[in-house]
Amino acid sequence: MSGIFVVLEERDGRVSRASWEALAAGQHLAAQTNEPVSAVVLGANADDAASESATKAVAKVIRIGHPLLARYTPDGYIAALHQLIHSERPAQVVFPHTYQVRDFAPALAARLGQVLISDVVAIGDGPVFTRQLMQGRLTGNYRHQGNGPCLISVQAGAFRADAVQTGTAEIVTFEPQIDPASIRTRPGEPFRGSAQTVDLGSAPLIVAVGRGIKEADNLSLVQDLASTLGAELAASRPICDNGWLPMERQVGSSGQTVAPKLYIAVGISGAIQHLVGMKGSQCIVAINKDPEAPIFEVADYGIVGDLFEVVPALTEALKGA
Amino acid sequence: MLSLTFTLAEPQSFALWEKLLLAALIIVSAGLFWRRFGVVLDRILQSKKDPGFHLGNLARRVWDFVSEVLLQSKVIRQRPLPGLAHAFVFWGFCAFALVTLNHVAAGFGASFLSPSGAFGRFYFYFAAAFALACAIGILGLLIRRFLVRPRWLGAKLSCESGFIAFLIFALMVTYLAAFFTTDAAPATRILWWAHTLCLLVFLPIIPHTKHLHLVLSPATVFLSRGGFSDIPPLAGDEDFGLVAGQDLTRIVSLQAYSCVECGRCSEHCPATNTGKILNPKEIILGVRAYLNDIGPRTDEPLLGKYNSQEAVFQCTTCGSCEFQCPVGIEHLPIMIGLRRGAVNTGAWEDDYGAKLFNQLERGSNALGISAAERDKFIQREQLPIFDGTQEYCLWLGCMGGYDPKGREIVAAFARVMKHLGASFGVLRKEKCTGDPVRRLGNDLVFQQLAEANLEILAQSKVKRIVTICPHCVRTIQEDWKAYGTPPPIEHHSEFLARYAEQLPKRVQDKEKIVFHDPCYLGRYRNVYDEPRAVAATAGEVVDPPRARERSFCCGAGGGLTFLGEETGERVSHVRAQELIATGASTIGTACPFCNSMFRDALGASNQPAPQLLDIAQLVARSLPATDSGEPGKK
Amino acid sequence: MKIIVAIKQVPERDAQVRIDPTGKWMEEADVQFAMNESDAYALEEALQLKEKQGGEVVVLSAGPERVGTTIREALAKGADRAIHVDADNLQELDSLSVARLLAEAIKPESPDLVLTGLQSDDLGLGQTGVILAELLGMPHASLILTVEKTDSGLSVKRELENGWFQTIELPLPAVLTIQSGGNKLRYATLMGIKRAKTKELRRIAASELAAPPASLAVLESIALPQKQRSTQILPGTAKEAAATLVEKLKFEVRVL
Repeated sequence: MSGIFVVLEERDGRVSRASWEALAAGQHLAAQTNEPVSAVVLGANADDAASESATKAVAKVIRIGHPLLARYTPDGYIAALHQLIHSERPAQVVFPHTYQVRDFAPALAARLGQVLISDVVAIGDGPVFTRQLMQGRLTGNYRHQGNGPCLISVQAGAFRADAVQTGTAEIVTFEPQIDPASIRTRPGEPFRGSAQTVDLGSAPLIVAVGRGIKEADNLSLVQDLASTLGAELAASRPICDNGWLPMERQVGSSGQTVAPKLYIAVGISGAIQHLVGMKGSQCIVAINKDPEAPIFEVADYGIVGDLFEVVPALTEALKGA
Repeated sequence: MLSLTFTLAEPQSFALWEKLLLAALIIVSAGLFWRRFGVVLDRILQSKKDPGFHLGNLARRVWDFVSEVLLQSKVIRQRPLPGLAHAFVFWGFCAFALVTLNHVAAGFGASFLSPSGAFGRFYFYFAAAFALACAIGILGLLIRRFLVRPRWLGAKLSCESGFIAFLIFALMVTYLAAFFTTDAAPATRILWWAHTLCLLVFLPIIPHTKHLHLVLSPATVFLSRGGFSDIPPLAGDEDFGLVAGQDLTRIVSLQAYSCVECGRCSEHCPATNTGKILNPKEIILGVRAYLNDIGPRTDEPLLGKYNSQEAVFQCTTCGSCEFQCPVGIEHLPIMIGLRRGAVNTGAWEDDYGAKLFNQLERGSNALGISAAERDKFIQREQLPIFDGTQEYCLWLGCMGGYDPKGREIVAAFARVMKHLGASFGVLRKEKCTGDPVRRLGNDLVFQQLAEANLEILAQSKVKRIVTICPHCVRTIQEDWKAYGTPPPIEHHSEFLARYAEQLPKRVQDKEKIVFHDPCYLGRYRNVYDEPRAVAATAGEVVDPPRARERSFCCGAGGGLTFLGEETGERVSHVRAQELIATGASTIGTACPFCNSMFRDALGASNQPAPQLLDIAQLVARSLPATDSGEPGKK
Repeated sequence: MKIIVAIKQVPERDAQVRIDPTGKWMEEADVQFAMNESDAYALEEALQLKEKQGGEVVVLSAGPERVGTTIREALAKGADRAIHVDADNLQELDSLSVARLLAEAIKPESPDLVLTGLQSDDLGLGQTGVILAELLGMPHASLILTVEKTDSGLSVKRELENGWFQTIELPLPAVLTIQSGGNKLRYATLMGIKRAKTKELRRIAASELAAPPASLAVLESIALPQKQRSTQILPGTAKEAAATLVEKLKFEVRVL
């Protein structure tokens, strides 16, 4: 058993950033164990993904081809990867920790009689795999035991996609045998939440505006920021009470509770009624001219300044990013 | 010819047929009375017994009876002019007792009071004075009801009230007129029979109308529960509160039948005053209608035909209703009982409510915030930790521990305590006292919180507690008693008032401070003067129009602050306007919920708002600069 | 429809996190426990399906004696009966071993549907449900928000990244892992708790079910993370602060 396989995901023909991060993790592991790293691609646009992967410093790119893999299903992917791993016998298999991987990798590991060590944030000597416990309040160090491949998935952002070394690699094809009857689930086309209703609850990025905006006419400033960022617009209660934004955009104890990846609070003081609606956000940025505003207590990043200056500056900076 | 002898004239003898007629009429009248009253009595007695009720503390009961029933103290104090008018009607009735007995006895030739005897003569004049006062009183009340038409009496004109008023007036007039006739005159006999007919028509009407209170309310006042908002314990595994008729207790039924429909409860209700559908009078009358229509001992839900779940969950539990009621109806245990019935059985489906209950089951506070935030606050403010040696445990509560403004109040109070040299500490861990879930009727979560907290207090060896939140005070002192023995607790206004002499006095820039009495400090605890004494060290304290026991709720109580949007006008905005209109530059509060509600209300209007400060902050402002040279922080 | 809901009892959100003397797990004394959050949503989904389709909801949980409280909470919310797999050393077992225990308890029940939460609040591995599907030989779908019964089985709404969703059809019997937030959770009532006392709670010792093989992924040690969350105030002019913020968002937060 030897070699490190990194399974890459593609979106519309381009390998995702999380996958490059997984490849970086694979290369990091290879430095420890001195094993060759191979990229594995499968799915609808496997050809494009394979070509892109072939420009990286990997031993080879394995392109898994089968018509039944054009649409992701756990049954299809597990069957294909199981056959590949069984045939090629790598020592390590690395995945990016995406929703898709979470859907099939644990079952794949079980079929191999193994356990997936998921959501790894660091790889130490050993190798020792570090992951977070108790919602980030503890870290745990895991070690793999026994014979058989070690499967891990790495957390987005744990490794840097730009750390992947470039090179050239040959592309080989692997054709698994998949019985159509074994595909038991029928996936539909992905769709966005309904266009009519505002679903702040599932928005990954939110820009929220509060009383600091002073007048309805000034909202366009914040709307520009939101659209540049690709974020949903939300508001604290007084804004909705005044009718400047519809009630469904209200975040707070009498509105919606949200937990997006990024919450930018513009001109919001941070009264408890608002805080309880957004305190679960992963990253909170506060822009307020009052340095004592309670919102700064829950913010990860704060800018103490006049929002009428800061917001346009931020919009500009984002456009250039 | 009128004879001006000014003694009461009575027919000296009645014919046999008159006596027989009188007897027959009395029997019919009494029979009709009993036909209805018997049913009412039956409904009350068929209701289940009140768990946990005992007749103890007779001294208080007797005092309440004398004060509220005999002296009509609440009737007069809370609505002076109509109250006085009613008092005279009532005293008139009392004074007339002997007269009426004599009157009927006379019909059978057995009168025992004689206008020629000294006592009789005196007594008839005595009763005449009351008759005059009563007649004027009832006339005044009639004018009020039919001409002035205050909206608390309801939109519909009540013919029944009009007729009764007429009967009472007629009774007084027929009595007084008999002073201007002679025994032998035919007019006397007519007056006598008119008076008698009025009496005998009145009697059966009593149990069919709100005048049932004549018979019941003395008993209702005497048989009240132990204290204000006295929530009874649940009795056994099948008791979930007031779910159906079979859960109605004797006290509740007695109170429902005693309602005199005066509308004093509605007049002061924050929900009724801001366009909500809740009307406390309608709740009680709804229970009465249920008893009349369906009766006790059934499993038909109480919330349905006569009262709605929506109305019941609009109550802030401010207690104005119970406080105002002149016939002893205790609205709060009924309201909370109805809520218990809905919540303990899962019949209440409310997203915010479910979220609150789930948050308090899994977490430590009603806001759903991580306890680590409270730890951070304690560290940042360098609050001493309670280690069993300090005299006081400073209980933070949910608002004091997690709300930014509540924290400012705690920080200010802690500074004052340090200045006074008081020894205190805060607990490492606190759970919500359970006030919102107790008022919403969730006994499961409340029990869990009370027991967990009592355990924490016992382990930490807490001997005395002081806190900035009247809701915590009430819940810890009274509501936790069902699950253990809480240590004595007081509100920070009571603590500070004891040290009023040692508090710094503000000498310059004294401002006008309008003090808002919190419901749970004022009506619930009778503490009105202490917070004023504390505020007075910082400026001139004025009262808003509705103050002290008539203070108008801020709208946060009863768990409502956790339940999302309210319909109609916002209670907090109405009250804030009233406070602003006093022209004071500062609004003084003594409850972090009031403070939070008014902060929002003041922020919503675009006018320049008065300052909003808790009494602890008013005092802390004048403290000497800290060692680091910082002036007293707000 | 017979639905089995696998729930886990985890330390409550506000629990103080301290490391126990062995250095391998957190100190459990003085810690209070609660039902794992996404399992509560799985239970809610099961109860709603029962209300619509009829059938039975069976709650399954593995752990030491204290797990009984959480099981009773599930019964109080409306589950019909419960199975408690008594195991004192759950934290020493890897996810495959735990799933094997649960699978052995599930097999004799022959359920139509197995629901479990997406991931646990303590370990956060998010694997149990998916492994169960493999062990039971059932089709599965994960990150499910809503479930509907169809003539051929189920139609479920799955959450994808970045605000996208997908509908998946699958036959019964199946396994679903449920994401938090799909439904509104009901609250436990006093009446529910009282009724729960009479519902069946069957205890099976873990040793009766399967001798777990040696763990393949061993948690060697745990530690408190170095950095704590604190507010970074970005200095400078509006332009400078904005530029710094964009940098942070790109490289520290990684949302751009």
